[in-house]
Amino acid sequence: MNRLFLFLLVLTCLSSMVHAETPAEAGIRVAEAQIAKSPDAYQYYNDLALALARRARETCDAWYYRKAGEALARSFAIAPENFDGLKVRTRVLLGQHEFAKALDLATRLNKQTPDDIVIYGYLAEASEELGNYKEAATAAQWMLRIRPGNAAGLAVAGELREVFGYIAPAMEVTRMAYDLTPGQETQTRAELLVRMARLNLLAGDVPKAENYAITALDVFPGYPDGLAALAEVRTAQQRYDEAVILQRKRCDEAPRAAHLYALGEALTRAGQKAEANAVFAEFERKALAESDKGDNANRELIAWYIDFANRPADALRIAEKEIARRHDVFTIDSYAWALAATGDLPRASLEIQKAVATGVKDPQILRHAAAIARRLGTTAGNMGELFGGQGK
Amino acid sequence: MKQLLLRPGVAIALATLAAVSPQVFAASHREAPITALDQKADITDWFAFVSPEHPDRVVMILDVDPFLEPSNGPNYFPFDPGILYEMKIDNNHDGHPDVTFQFRFQTTIGQPGVFTGFVGNLAGIPPITALSGPGAAGLSLSQTYTVTMVMASGQTTNLGAGQTLYAVPTNVGPRTMPNYPALMQQGVYSLTSDARVFAGTIADPFFIDLGAAFDSLNFRQAAGGGVLSAAVDADDHNNYAPNTLAGYNVNTIVLEVPITWLTSDGQTHTAGDKQAVIGTWGTTSRQQTNVVPGFGEIGTTWAQVQRMGNPLINELIIGTGSKDKFSTDDPWHDSQFAGFFLNPLLATIFSSIGIPVPSGPRTDLLPLVQYQAPICPGCGPGDAGPIADLLRLNTGIPPTAAANVKRLAVLAGDFGGFPNGRRLTDDVVDIAARCVAGILVSATKYGTPIGDGVNTPAVAPSATFPFVAPANSGRNSAHDAGPGLPGCPVLTGSICPVN
Repeated sequence: MNRLFLFLLVLTCLSSMVHAETPAEAGIRVAEAQIAKSPDAYQYYNDLALALARRARETCDAWYYRKAGEALARSFAIAPENFDGLKVRTRVLLGQHEFAKALDLATRLNKQTPDDIVIYGYLAEASEELGNYKEAATAAQWMLRIRPGNAAGLAVAGELREVFGYIAPAMEVTRMAYDLTPGQETQTRAELLVRMARLNLLAGDVPKAENYAITALDVFPGYPDGLAALAEVRTAQQRYDEAVILQRKRCDEAPRAAHLYALGEALTRAGQKAEANAVFAEFERKALAESDKGDNANRELIAWYIDFANRPADALRIAEKEIARRHDVFTIDSYAWALAATGDLPRASLEIQKAVATGVKDPQILRHAAAIARRLGTTAGNMGELFGGQGK
Repeated sequence: MKQLLLRPGVAIALATLAAVSPQVFAASHREAPITALDQKADITDWFAFVSPEHPDRVVMILDVDPFLEPSNGPNYFPFDPGILYEMKIDNNHDGHPDVTFQFRFQTTIGQPGVFTGFVGNLAGIPPITALSGPGAAGLSLSQTYTVTMVMASGQTTNLGAGQTLYAVPTNVGPRTMPNYPALMQQGVYSLTSDARVFAGTIADPFFIDLGAAFDSLNFRQAAGGGVLSAAVDADDHNNYAPNTLAGYNVNTIVLEVPITWLTSDGQTHTAGDKQAVIGTWGTTSRQQTNVVPGFGEIGTTWAQVQRMGNPLINELIIGTGSKDKFSTDDPWHDSQFAGFFLNPLLATIFSSIGIPVPSGPRTDLLPLVQYQAPICPGCGPGDAGPIADLLRLNTGIPPTAAANVKRLAVLAGDFGGFPNGRRLTDDVVDIAARCVAGILVSATKYGTPIGDGVNTPAVAPSATFPFVAPANSGRNSAHDAGPGLPGCPVLTGSICPVN
């Protein structure tokens, strides 16, 4: 109890720190001032849109992407199809999880200016989210080839290495990206720290993960992804009450459907089932409302239908919709899990093999693979060999 | 109870991270952002010509590391041991290398306590008169290198013939290196069979009024303002405008090999035979981080930093947003840049200032990037190969006698030079500009005598291997060929014009 009290005290202190202007807020302020001075200069609308997109990442609030879209509309009204504006539009599309559209636009921009490493980054990001890992790796490799050692390329390389199961090498390049990021870029540094926390959790090093997660919140207080990372650490430490507090705070900061699901899970683990059910009910309402949008909580919805609500048919319906949009390892996993839940184990096995074959070390995917294998009468170890897993 | 491990999507503030990455934007000297960042890997020039000493051999010269100020000690200008320097030859016209010569350097510090890399005639240390052994005591910083021939089959041959090959250091000055030409000559090595090699610092052979060119083509009015008079145009030996490269050094690797090593069948051929024509280019590469398997294991592989075939392609033809991709990509992928070749922006600029140019698409420029006549008269329509920026050389065309060499080479009826390969004295600035203006379509209609007024290198090349001129002296040389300074001997007081 003492520990929980101390934890609450620290969290309160972190939350009550004087709110300094974030990099995105500063960008918005500067861009708006420039627009006020020169309302016909399209570049300032691009700057504003980019700053708004960054603010969306700081807050996990998709409203900022809509505002960014409005700023871009002003930019294109002045200078139709201007290159910088199209770059920011790609950024916004990625933020809105419109990955196929983002990929199309990034491909077009890449042909126009093949030296732009940011566009390669967008190509990599869109490809990875869609599950086109070979294309993602090719784009990331070009980032590092054209600008060896650039921070953005290293960060993307870290993501891809993680997918391929190269956890230590992923940590190495993510750390390099972090070291190259200036101190004033607080959100970006926090985002990289969250990644390092996640990688350390994957590697089983909970103390290091804890250190990174706490540092992320120190660097960017109230950062929703930082709160989630620390909550995951607390879960790993079986400090479920603290995980609930963190997830609740995350929902307060950014009440997204996916965040509600995580809170519901945390509450369940903490034994607060009644409150969990209420949260899950709200989660389902929100998730269904956004289910047909790019930025949705369909994977969480599938998980909830299967693992909590015992509604496998609903899970499969959502999974089929999502797998038609993208085939990244996490979506494949959700689809396979839904197939398994509806009793279609052969197809579930075929699907989960695709995910495991990348070498991914995500514990949920591996757990699902093992469960499907067990039900099919083989072993997870054999599955790994069967699937040709190449992760290290 | 399962755990849904946090993975909130891969999105990262890419624009932010890219902005904080180390990058700096700056003739083939620093022509692309990537090489402006990496001077040691910057290829300044690539030459290939049939040897005037031995017409059965080809000479290839790879110049790197631009604008070396001769006096800039104490360590001067070593080659980078981290770079793989390569000379590549395509002999079956597919744009891929069939024969490659690789060069790797190693640095040795002989006297770690001495404050400078080179010392002589001081404190009991004798002058530097040799690259190794007696006379080399003052060479605290010395570099050795290897030469390896790699065939498309993967077969490799070390061409060193058991020798230790030393790179020739820069010309520090007369006290330290009292007979630099003799020292330089010691850096010429005979390799296996009839090959020869040289590596070291030399006077930069390139010549151009760079300042005027990059000041939005603001050429000196005294030299015709970009369009040469008949007299200036006919002068192969004098400059009428300042040569920006005068007084600077550059690092070079010179290799001379039998033609039979380079052709597809190991034979020599007459000029009309397509097998006589090879495509050549130079590259520099560094180790790169691999993202994931598929590019090799996690670790490093060689990745090209720059390449060069034809001169000035990346400077004058390739768009700014594509220069790094062009530098780092392979020539057999050059169809992606076809738009730049077929509709060069420079032609539009010429047109805007009243110089007549043909309309696009400019298929007349394709002989520079495909195997076609006039360089390959034996090539039929099916032999052109892909669009690939290679310096093509017809090894069946004998070298032009020295007295008949023309700075405008093929444009002046001298087929021993650019764009049939490239010699040290070929005025590629004027030739390339005129090609872009359409002289290959019609010399009458599009033959404006475009030129910068710089017609010859600052230091005349040697008539013998390694052909390049010795490095400018660190102590005694100056950049005395700038605007308002000497360097234009036929003008009053030898002073080059400012305007």
